[in-house]
Amino acid sequence: MTSPEPIITIENVNKYFGQLKALSEVSLQVRPGEKVVIIGPSGSGKSTLLRTINRLEEIDSGRIIVDGLDVMDDKNDINRIRMEVGMVFQRFNLFPHKTVLGNLTLAPMKLRKIERAAAEANGRRLLQKVGIEEKAAVYPARLSGGQQQRVAIARALAMNPKIMLFDEPTSALDPEMIGEVLDVMVNLAREGMTMVVVTHEMGFAREVADMVVFMDQGQILETGPPEHFFQDCRHPRARKFLSQIL
Amino acid sequence: MMKRCVWVVLAAILLATPAWARTLVVAQDATWPPMEFMNEQKEIIGFDTDYVRAVAKEAGFDVVFKNVAWDGIFAGLDAGQYDAVCSSVTITDERKKAMDFGIPYFKVRQALVVSKDSTVKTLEELKGKTVGGQIGTTGYFAIKKTEGITAKSYDEIGLAMEDLFSGRIDGVVCDDPTAAQYALQKADYAARLKIAAVLDTGDEYYGIAVKKGNKEVLDLINKGIEAVQAKGIDKELRAKWIGQ
Amino acid sequence: MEKKTIDVSDGAAIPRKKDAGLFSAWRISFAGALIILLCLVVFEPDPYLKILKFLPDGILITFEVTIFAIIFAVLLGLLTGLGRISKNPFINAVASTYVEVVRGIPLLVQLFYIYYALGRFVRLPDMVAAIIAMSLCYGAYMGEVFRAGIESIDKGQMEAARSLGFNRTQTMFYVILPQAWRTILPPVGNEFIALLKDTSLVSILAVADMLRRGREFASETFTYFETYTVIALVYLLITLLLSKMVSILEEKLNYYDQS
Repeated sequence: MTSPEPIITIENVNKYFGQLKALSEVSLQVRPGEKVVIIGPSGSGKSTLLRTINRLEEIDSGRIIVDGLDVMDDKNDINRIRMEVGMVFQRFNLFPHKTVLGNLTLAPMKLRKIERAAAEANGRRLLQKVGIEEKAAVYPARLSGGQQQRVAIARALAMNPKIMLFDEPTSALDPEMIGEVLDVMVNLAREGMTMVVVTHEMGFAREVADMVVFMDQGQILETGPPEHFFQDCRHPRARKFLSQIL
Repeated sequence: MMKRCVWVVLAAILLATPAWARTLVVAQDATWPPMEFMNEQKEIIGFDTDYVRAVAKEAGFDVVFKNVAWDGIFAGLDAGQYDAVCSSVTITDERKKAMDFGIPYFKVRQALVVSKDSTVKTLEELKGKTVGGQIGTTGYFAIKKTEGITAKSYDEIGLAMEDLFSGRIDGVVCDDPTAAQYALQKADYAARLKIAAVLDTGDEYYGIAVKKGNKEVLDLINKGIEAVQAKGIDKELRAKWIGQ
Repeated sequence: MEKKTIDVSDGAAIPRKKDAGLFSAWRISFAGALIILLCLVVFEPDPYLKILKFLPDGILITFEVTIFAIIFAVLLGLLTGLGRISKNPFINAVASTYVEVVRGIPLLVQLFYIYYALGRFVRLPDMVAAIIAMSLCYGAYMGEVFRAGIESIDKGQMEAARSLGFNRTQTMFYVILPQAWRTILPPVGNEFIALLKDTSLVSILAVADMLRRGREFASETFTYFETYTVIALVYLLITLLLSKMVSILEEKLNYYDQS
């Protein structure tokens, strides 16, 4: 594999929540098309790290470059950076006052200034892609968790982002719905989307990740391709974590 | 021993309160200088107040004053909250239907107060303008009866004068002693206001009002008024409060 | 995404479908007030019909003050609510101070102040002074309701919108406020009703509203019982109608609920 310039560069990032050190000297690079899966016990800082990439969390020191722009530099319009970085949340966060299609067209129409007809056509295409085109006119409250999360993915994709961030996308789902969401994510990965995923789904990590990152106590302890990581990771805490989860 | 103490106390109370001195509660709306208003010590003073005291002295009853908003003053009389109203109450046919009046004790007329630079000489000249009066007073009724004038009713005559003073209305109609008080006596108002006319609504007489059919109180009051008038006390009071 | 409600303290109860007790109370009160009023007017036209005929221009004034004050109070409330959650310390301080000052002064005093006290400097017409005082007072109350309504919206909504690239203002107008409306509407509806009732206070500015018209009638004819009975019934009918309108509006805003 050739190594183009990284699309995300995280350098020596530190972040505190009061006294608590949430991120400690974290550095990470993600290249275009790469799929990075971040794992680790809860409270390890993995969600925090993910959220610093589109500046939903501020950092105390270090540097984060996304698509050539310094995220923390106020000279760069953070809203323009975010338009290129889709995000999927644990709790879906669909807009309850908009229909499914309305959720998909709001941002493209208001931010990308796309005509309603074009935005709706693109929205329907994406709904088809995530397999719920028949729910276009329904309000989110009527959908199951799995359906809501697939709409949330489609909503993020509607902005045609260069990067997709997933923050524990299946953690709030009933077990029988996890599969349908992971299927959508696997397909997205096959299409070549750059993805950073925080998850506990080791199967997913094994199947699609180019790189697995293990975090604990705000530090990255181990990084490597999944085959390496799952077979012979060296760090004792990573091994302990894997033994508990697998 | 105990029993005797109680008897002594009771006897003392009985002796201390002369059984013959009846106490009447008299309502006044103390916003109508110089007839009835509040001094800085928060006491009601004025012509009417002194007049009632004189009447009480002559007729041999005690009097307690109660300050009541004009708007509800007759409703309170009807509800028995006080025995009489002596508060520049003009005797009118309408009112006579609702309550009884004592002997007329004071003659007034309605006066129109306007800004000093106004050339108005009659109420009719204020057609198309706004004229204020106190709610439920003969002055306000006179404004309402004049066609083409917007009548504005205030809770207190002082608020109407304030609006006239700041130029929001074009005239105020009220009893002449009160008009004189504002347009001639109170320095800041007198500098800006004047009495333009005394309206030819005819002479009016103030009377002390009691609840319809309350003959006992009415007789008591009339007895006092007769004595006051016979002794000429009313003229002394007029000199004290109104001048002239 | 579950619906949150804000506790309310004044105004009047707004009937809701699930609240069967209040709903029937509404019917009983409305029908009762209407029947009593009609009976009085039909069987005892003197003085009841006379009183009723005396009131309409006063009712109009009451409506006028209410409607203008509601419009301005909602706008002011929205600005204040946004100001109170603003990250700009200056805007925040201005909004908070306004709320504190206005909440600490009785409406009656505010009315006197704006009309009579300031009257020596700014000569506001009585209606304007009345509407300004009512709007200022209720703008502060509604500001608190708006703030609570906005804060009741799940933080995830803000994050989802921001992650798509909306700025704070866009997020507020496209995502937060459209949802906050229905949390805000019941307490705001209560404020509407409280405001309508409080317009009776403007009669002290010699504004010829319904109450002052009634007082004028009563003080001339000594029909206190009859006049105030009619006034109470008319106020009751108007507030009941208003609360009905608010509850209908509420239904409409619940279009995206699950059940």
